[in-house]
Amino acid sequence: MSNVKTARLAALAGVLIFVSTTAVLVARQFNLGPDRPAPGFRTFGPDTAAIQIYEYTDFACPACRHAALAMDDIIKIYGAGVKLSFKHYPLESIHPWSASAAAHADCAGEQGKFKEYAAALFETQEAWARAEEKPAQFEAYAKILNLNWVKMQACAKDPATLRRVKLDMAEGGIKGVNATPTFFINGKRAVGGAQLLEQARKFEAILRNSR
Amino acid sequence: MKEKPDLKELFGLLARLAVGGVFIYSGAIKALSPAEEFAYAIETYKVVGAGTALWAAYTVPWIELYAGLLLAAGIFTRFSGLFVAAMLSFFELLLAQAWLRSLPVTSCGCFGAGSSNSITYEFFQNLVFLALLWPAIRLGHRFSADAAVGDK
Repeated sequence: MSNVKTARLAALAGVLIFVSTTAVLVARQFNLGPDRPAPGFRTFGPDTAAIQIYEYTDFACPACRHAALAMDDIIKIYGAGVKLSFKHYPLESIHPWSASAAAHADCAGEQGKFKEYAAALFETQEAWARAEEKPAQFEAYAKILNLNWVKMQACAKDPATLRRVKLDMAEGGIKGVNATPTFFINGKRAVGGAQLLEQARKFEAILRNSR
Repeated sequence: MKEKPDLKELFGLLARLAVGGVFIYSGAIKALSPAEEFAYAIETYKVVGAGTALWAAYTVPWIELYAGLLLAAGIFTRFSGLFVAAMLSFFELLLAQAWLRSLPVTSCGCFGAGSSNSITYEFFQNLVFLALLWPAIRLGHRFSADAAVGDK
């Protein structure tokens, strides 16, 4: 093979590598990667729902608390037309207990009370979010909700639980999530409650077209 | 007038596209997913530690994607084909040791963590791909970038 031919082939290889790398990086930003299902206790609504929402949230983030209330209303209004998959995206640099709260919420979920525990965490986030030591609220809410706290503690320390939270964070990172709450509604990104409600205005039309 | 391609050439082309396509798909699907997910799959083979697994998870999908593209396009076909063969052989070693050690590998990590076959299935599937590499390298040269790119 001559030097000219080798150089041309190398240039062609370079073009292919450049184009494919760019395509993958762009696809990541447009949320075109495979969707990782959230565990059953963090998923609400039927698989067949016309509106599929992935919500990346942080229990210590005030905007997430407001968005959670808006999301409850959306689920009440659109019922079986909506499926919500809840993903953890604790902003550890500003909320030191968020990841731990996420793990505890998952453990409550394994005992069948994710939604209730999550609601309690959101409601009182100011009380525990900046605590110096492990917040006593984690145990208090477990007891109020009649959860097995011993089991829950073991679960929250279990590497599999922490791994699940970390995977959600890594997935959010790869999809370009850098603020909470971030939603992907049928693949389309919405950041914050206002953008969520803006997209929610189209839900009626989506549901009508899906019938 | 150009000669009609014979069956051998077509078979070589198809083999190259098949193996290259599988590598493109498996590389892209993993590059689009969190590296940590693939890293956890690598960890279950109990060959390397968590740090090395994460490093491998960041790099291997891209290498698979590029190697698959070069092979499918027929660029440096012999080299890219042998490189893919070396990767497949390495994957076979990983699968075989996991099989022999009866490791509880729930996701082989071959095509991301979303879907997974048993390691036995993947082992034999890789054998088929390895067998297809011979015609991919030896036949179908006429339909490759190697043949299309001229000297002058």
